[in-house]
Amino acid sequence: MDNKVFEDKIFGLVSYVVVSARNLLEEPARYGPFRLVDTASRLINILEEAGISSDRLKAVRDRIEAGKYSAMGTEEEFEQFLETTVFSVVDAMDNTGG
Amino acid sequence: MDVMTAIKGRRSVRSFTDQPVDKEMLLKLLEAAVWAPSAGNSQTWRFVIVTEEAMMKKIKMVSPGLLGNPPAVIVIAHDMALAKHKGGQMGAETLTKMDSAMAAQNIMLAAHAMGLGTCAIGSFHPGAAAKLLGMPEHIVPHLMVTVGHPAVKPPPSKRLFKEVYWFEAYHG
Repeated sequence: MDNKVFEDKIFGLVSYVVVSARNLLEEPARYGPFRLVDTASRLINILEEAGISSDRLKAVRDRIEAGKYSAMGTEEEFEQFLETTVFSVVDAMDNTGG
Repeated sequence: MDVMTAIKGRRSVRSFTDQPVDKEMLLKLLEAAVWAPSAGNSQTWRFVIVTEEAMMKKIKMVSPGLLGNPPAVIVIAHDMALAKHKGGQMGAETLTKMDSAMAAQNIMLAAHAMGLGTCAIGSFHPGAAAKLLGMPEHIVPHLMVTVGHPAVKPPPSKRLFKEVYWFEAYHG
């Protein structure tokens, strides 16, 4: 991926975050954590397309994609998804080689 | 497809195939939209359909709720000056939002009956979207509906039924 394409993708992500920040002033509270994990997933995708990837980043992204829409489910489901995602990140912290 | 089947079969679809939606299908959805009820038959809704990649990309940038890669988005806006003229303050501030929702539901049910997937999007920046779409100040977007050929069919979420209705008087 050349720098121009990379910058364009990052700009899209920046826009997503900035507009989210504004809209979240009035949106349902749980949209905040949803946007944060979705941003993490989008960032991992962009990095992967730019040739930067690892097993642990892919694992985090896949876990987020599999569970992020629990934000539309019950509070317990969403909390459980976020909680398990946190601990999956913790477990991967020392896995720098993957 | 009968109405109840369409109502129960519709899902919020956030994953679409790359297949574009035919213009004739989109026009059919708009026809369904304008057959929705509107407050005082005001019909102050205005629709902009986005299908071109460059505009879609910009709209996505100001619409955090617009997830996946839909080939089309129907932006439901209202002529707020006309709405105020026809319906007063209540017409402009409240009833237009209801009209948008009813038009959106018509779109979504008609789309489902045509084998298309949709998702109603409320999370976008109205001012930014209006600017990108070239809308003058009195045309205000309220809602977006993504449209495409579904890549997956999400399972239905649980619906409360017996817990949410009473005959004659509220007994909750």
